[in-house]
Amino acid sequence: MRFRDLSFLVVSNLRRMKLRLALTSLGVVIGTAAIVLMLSLGIGLQANMTASLGDLGAATHINVMGGGMGPMGTEGVVLNDEMVEQFGAIEHVEAVLPSTYVFSIQDVRYRRYQAYLNTMGVPMDAFEKFGYELEEGRLPRNNKEILLGAVIPTSFSFASDDLFMGGTTPTAPELDLLGKRLTAKVVTYPTEDEYKSDPNAPAKEEKRKFTVVGILAPSDMQTDQTAYVTMDAAIDLNDLDKRKVSYENVIVKADSVNSVAEVEQTIMDMGFYTFSARSIQDQLKSVFLIIQGVLGALGAIAMLVAALGITNTMTMSIYERTREIGIMKAVGASNRQIKRVFLGEAAIIGMLGGTGGLLFSAAGAALANLFVQALIASQTATTGGVSTETTSFFQIPVWLAIFAIAFAAGVGLLAGVLPAVRAANLDPLTALRHE
Amino acid sequence: MTHAVEVEGLTREYIMGGEPLVVLRGVTLSIEPGEIVCVMGPSGSGKSTLLNIVGGLDRPTAGTVRIEGADLAEMDDERLAIYRRKQVGFLFQSFNLIPTMTARRNVELPLLFAGASPAERTQRAVAALESVGLGHRIDHKPTELSGGEQQRAAMARAIVNEPAIVLADEPTGNLDSRTGHEILGLMREMNDAGRTLLITTHDRAIAESVADRIITIVDGSIESIEQGGTS
Ligand SMILES: Nc1ncnc2c1ncn2[C@@H]1O[C@H](COP(=O)(O)OP(=O)(O)OP(=O)(O)O)[C@@H](O)[C@H]1O
Ligand SMILES: [Mg+2]
Repeated sequence: MRFRDLSFLVVSNLRRMKLRLALTSLGVVIGTAAIVLMLSLGIGLQANMTASLGDLGAATHINVMGGGMGPMGTEGVVLNDEMVEQFGAIEHVEAVLPSTYVFSIQDVRYRRYQAYLNTMGVPMDAFEKFGYELEEGRLPRNNKEILLGAVIPTSFSFASDDLFMGGTTPTAPELDLLGKRLTAKVVTYPTEDEYKSDPNAPAKEEKRKFTVVGILAPSDMQTDQTAYVTMDAAIDLNDLDKRKVSYENVIVKADSVNSVAEVEQTIMDMGFYTFSARSIQDQLKSVFLIIQGVLGALGAIAMLVAALGITNTMTMSIYERTREIGIMKAVGASNRQIKRVFLGEAAIIGMLGGTGGLLFSAAGAALANLFVQALIASQTATTGGVSTETTSFFQIPVWLAIFAIAFAAGVGLLAGVLPAVRAANLDPLTALRHE
Repeated sequence: MTHAVEVEGLTREYIMGGEPLVVLRGVTLSIEPGEIVCVMGPSGSGKSTLLNIVGGLDRPTAGTVRIEGADLAEMDDERLAIYRRKQVGFLFQSFNLIPTMTARRNVELPLLFAGASPAERTQRAVAALESVGLGHRIDHKPTELSGGEQQRAAMARAIVNEPAIVLADEPTGNLDSRTGHEILGLMREMNDAGRTLLITTHDRAIAESVADRIITIVDGSIESIEQGGTS
């Protein structure tokens, strides 16, 4: 007798205990879902650790943020030239790149196309030291020149005044911008003094032209979306006093990946907030480790409870079917065949639960991926640029799906062993007399 | 020639509250192929116990049972299951059909455990049901059948594997006399097909109408063996 031949017995048995079956499988659903999520997180992490490194910035870079609050309500330390010099003096620091956000540039236009850019002013000599590679062209040399991040030529859309107000603007084709002139809308708001003398002083709006002299090769997510001008241009555009200039952001380059932690700690001790690919990864790793641990524990507990549930359900249903077992034995079922019928039943309960759990975990993984991606985007994109990169921290490869169902079936099978053996060893006469 | 059934010194005891309860005490009996033997006796005399031991559902405390020369005591549980599957068919007073399965599925059961293919199972089950006049009710569940129809389905199940021996424990006990006689008629047909029948009954008229021999058991021992009305 092959298992296929038994299947009608198994299926007809299962069919009459639908509700009990559903309740029993539920435990397996939860257990499988938790275990699959745990494993898929492990797989996803391994696959992403190297990939995400690039996304979060070069491995040797430490981002230092300015404008933070200092301890105990004191005013936070300011990222100014003095600090840049101090960073440069730290051991293992290879280069320091201050940057200031050009908030006065609202949008740039090229022909009928428009883009909202993150424009940063950087000292070009330091920028060069950081080893950003150019796809084409060169670095800006004066304040009429601009360097574009790798994805900017594909980030243009049709100018919104070309279309209905508020409508979504279709994306423009990739533009060949090298050597072309972009027109930036520069808005200067009234200074404090001007505001005092005339509260209704209007914001000044002017147009400035920049020539694209270079396009960067793709590097990290943030750089790819940023346009760079010289520091002089930024100071001028933002209408700042050169002596009082402070930076939003300073990138410190360590001389090796191994010294990143040490340098980052030194800068944090000076009172700055920092982030680096390393520190973000460390944070993620520990968060993921906790999630994995929780899922693993939950899965193990759920699976154990589920197994007990299956054992219980099987015991009950075998008790209720004692007489049938007697009948089957009277018509020639061997102990082994009876055992197989009930093991099959238990395995199918496990398998159904496993399939359900797999579906749940696939949905859960998709949701969790969206959530984690949003989280990372908000951590890395300080200036509002959101990555379109899809990083899947939960991955369910085919082998994991098959393993999950097989594992759940195996748990069911194991949970069914005891009741099935008991059913098989029932004395036929006692079973036949059972009411 | 070998006997269809050969029982020698058969004893069956149960230990009840430390005391042995002797249900069968040294029963010796031979049944020839194609014979119909009825077992009579008061309630509790050990009739069912005898049938169950001959059918391999129970094992004796002492004595031997040989079926077509083969000693049941030498068979392990696995082998005994095969014996029940191939060589004997059972009929019970309470029919013992599986309530959730249709008549056809019930009849297919012995074939299933014998490893027959689905097509063969269906074909043979339907043929067996037709032979007991239940061809028109094959897809009905036991609850949708009358007592007589249920016993017919059980008969189809008992013969579907072509056993040499059919053991019937008060097969008409739950039926009215007219239905009981219909069942007896079918049992005669089984016998005409060459099967050896061992039947227990409380009804002397029934025994006399079908039996080649009537064996009366009292308190676990054979009290008398008489030739039945048919021979
Ligand atoms: N498992 C058991 N444990 C203890 N005693 C048993 C067991 N099975 C049967 N008996 C006893 O064996 C005796 C014979 O039982 P059996 O069923 O063979 O009688 P019977 O002749 O078939 O009776 P009836 O005509 O009422 O069917 C009875 O006294 C019964 O109580
Ligand atoms: Mg009896």
